[in-house]
Amino acid sequence: MFSTILEQIVNGIVTGSVYAIVAVGMTMIFGVLRAINFAHGEYYMLGTFGAWFSIDYLGLSYEASIVVGVLSTIVVAYVVGKLVMQRMVGAPAESGVLATLGIALVLQNTVILVFGGGYKFFSGGYIEPVSILGFSLAQQRILILVVCLLVFVGLELMVTYSRMGKSMRAVSQNVDCCEVVGIDVPQVVLRTFILGAALAALSGVLTAPVNVSVYGGMGELITFKTLPIIIMGGLGNVRGTFFAAMILGIAESLVATYVGLQFRDTVGFATLILMLMWRPHGLFSTQARF
Amino acid sequence: MTGLPLLEIKNLRKSYGAVKAVNDVSIHINRGEIAGMIGPNGSGKSTFFDCSTGLAKPDTGTVKLDGQDITGWSLNRIAREGRMLRSFQKTVVFKSLDVEENLIIAGQMFTFPSLWSTFGLGRMSRQRVSGLRERARELIKMAGLWDVRHQPAGNLSGGQQKLIQFASMLMPEPKLILLDEPMAGINPKIIERVVDTILYANKSLGVSFLVIEHNIDVVTSICQRVIVLDQGQKLVEGLPQDIIQDQRVREAYLGG
Amino acid sequence: MSLTETAQQIRRRDLRIPLGAVLLVIALAAPFIGSRYVTHSLIIALIFMLPAHGLNLLVGYTGLLSLAQAAFFGIGAYTAGLLAVTYGTPFYVNLLAAGLVAGAIALPLGIPALRLRSTSFVMCTLGFVIIGQAIAKNWISVTRGDMGLSSIPKPHFALGPLSFTVSGTMGFYYLALAIGVLATLAVWAIVRSPAGRNMIAIRENETLAESVGIPTWRYKLIVFMISAVFAGVGGSVYAHYLTVVSPLTFQMYYSTTMLIIVLGGGAGTISGVVFGSLLFVGLTEALRITPELRMIAYGLCLLALVFWFRKGFSPLINRFWDTVGGAK
Repeated sequence: MFSTILEQIVNGIVTGSVYAIVAVGMTMIFGVLRAINFAHGEYYMLGTFGAWFSIDYLGLSYEASIVVGVLSTIVVAYVVGKLVMQRMVGAPAESGVLATLGIALVLQNTVILVFGGGYKFFSGGYIEPVSILGFSLAQQRILILVVCLLVFVGLELMVTYSRMGKSMRAVSQNVDCCEVVGIDVPQVVLRTFILGAALAALSGVLTAPVNVSVYGGMGELITFKTLPIIIMGGLGNVRGTFFAAMILGIAESLVATYVGLQFRDTVGFATLILMLMWRPHGLFSTQARF
Repeated sequence: MTGLPLLEIKNLRKSYGAVKAVNDVSIHINRGEIAGMIGPNGSGKSTFFDCSTGLAKPDTGTVKLDGQDITGWSLNRIAREGRMLRSFQKTVVFKSLDVEENLIIAGQMFTFPSLWSTFGLGRMSRQRVSGLRERARELIKMAGLWDVRHQPAGNLSGGQQKLIQFASMLMPEPKLILLDEPMAGINPKIIERVVDTILYANKSLGVSFLVIEHNIDVVTSICQRVIVLDQGQKLVEGLPQDIIQDQRVREAYLGG
Repeated sequence: MSLTETAQQIRRRDLRIPLGAVLLVIALAAPFIGSRYVTHSLIIALIFMLPAHGLNLLVGYTGLLSLAQAAFFGIGAYTAGLLAVTYGTPFYVNLLAAGLVAGAIALPLGIPALRLRSTSFVMCTLGFVIIGQAIAKNWISVTRGDMGLSSIPKPHFALGPLSFTVSGTMGFYYLALAIGVLATLAVWAIVRSPAGRNMIAIRENETLAESVGIPTWRYKLIVFMISAVFAGVGGSVYAHYLTVVSPLTFQMYYSTTMLIIVLGGGAGTISGVVFGSLLFVGLTEALRITPELRMIAYGLCLLALVFWFRKGFSPLINRFWDTVGGAK
């Protein structure tokens, strides 16, 4: 009994890591743009499709497919960022909602149109189980955990020490001042957006071997799960997002085991609505960001 | 009943975090009076207005209008049921609607007996709206906006928008109007017009006023009594000519 | 002076009534002109016009961007479907019940949701759709889960000895047209009433509206409920037309479609919504565009609306009515 709970918690942490890598990009984009990116899950899907394509059609190895998946997403994100996201600087909140919804529709349906709407089998990855401390855990899941930790340590260092991190913080605190000081706001928005999209793609490629199936509509579900996480974490808060993602991952895992698998995907939205009602500023901060 | 002050505010306090924006202020406004409120920037005038009119909730204190306790009422209820209206520092109008519609909207909730009745399209409803339209036209003439009455309010100049806002507040036959810096950012010609309108509303329509204003000439010429706020507290109140001579008031402005 | 005044007062003739008559004749003759598939496309457009009218009251007139319309559409479809299948109640009873149930559910959902602003409100309303789908999928004893409800009877009317069933496409077209016209008139009445003016005031500036005594919170709640009633009625007609209801009725796809109709057609204009339904739903259906291409087109439309044509077709439509109405 106890070990089942523990196993579910470990599974939840792995799921949480996947969510965390996606959500942190979304929360950073919110930070610089003050807009929720309703298309964020689509970059997760694009990354996965890029990897699947390079394995199935180009016969590349899984390692190479990670690179292809992330790079192809970066290309798409660059185009979207130039054409759409940069225009959203200073636009009203509703514009951001509608524009990103539009992007989500275009990306998702283009992929379905090209590759078909059915489920595809993802064949790469390290699925051999290893046993640690009495648990049996697939290597891929350990990889996800490690990458998640690396990503967050890296982001923490970047935000604190690098030039780009500093300008990101500046933009998220006060856009008007940045223009006076000479920070190129659209440039910061573009870079942050590409970084966020690349992380989402990375998360997708890493998760694909665990999920096994790949389909065009998969991004939407990820977007829906990312929303409660970034609200819980406190919008724009990188560390808060990490813990919020873990909480959601573990909660989903426990609900799936003890309440019913069909309720797993509802946990996120129930959380979202409760959070918006009671603590719109997140779990980790007392100050509302919007 | 007439002996009672129209508006009586006692021990009003409001803090934002550690900042005591309004710290234990009590004032009253008499019937038919034009009272002024002055004070340096950040002295708590606007917060005091917000708390009195229901835009913000005071931490403690009571607000009584005509002997009725209205503390904690919402902005719309104070306007509708109390007939105490307020303007905003930054002039606001319904930008895409024309001048006439702006005024009609301002009168609707006072003419229709309930929220549900506003959904009516019958004869009664149409009569009420045409009554409002007539009143709106009178006020538009008075404010000198007749020629632009069918233009979107957002297209007009700042001064004209100020006049629209002012005329809107006269639509419901108010008891008391609180003006937040009505003269800020408008040219002297319009200032004269606004002063005339205030005096007309006061004398002919019996409206009382509380006016926040930085223009000291305007304050001394229209106000019968002036209240001075400084650092969230009432410093002094009295006749305008006494106030401008008062040493404490000078210090408050100069000493910041 | 008097001469110039009369000269200015010469207006072109008001053509609105003859134009309305012509449009009505075209609408009535449409099934005889077009093929059966065109008629089907028009029915779909008329059905989607109902929730879009509701959404227009919310977005176009009151200024609240909501994605919850699909949730109320689904609630209406399930209400009608369950009543028809379980109790065999007639069409018009199901239609009214669907509207009322959707409106009633909008009250407890609207009270917390409307306390949120802009993006938070959008996310919350999106949540209603997702949770609606989860309930439809998992409350199997009532909704039959993923199987959904099937063989919902076609509308049947009985009036004394007269009784007939609307079974053919053409019959259903006239039924949908009648409901669509009634709904359009209802929206027209709401918008033209003093309440409609108050709604616009809330959209323009909520604090100013408050300060002139408008109880903005209650108005927003009422409009949210009215918009749900329209969506619920639309859902019930949809259920009776397709004769099946599944959890997929609760989908972002539907909310997006309604949003495109309203924003593209021209938010804040009634004829814009009618036009939008014909253009974005009727035309795409008639051209048999695959769902994916249609969604891509919708996505591009959304981007175009945000960055280039903020008002959709509404400036064109306003100018059109001004010309027809005789204004210079």
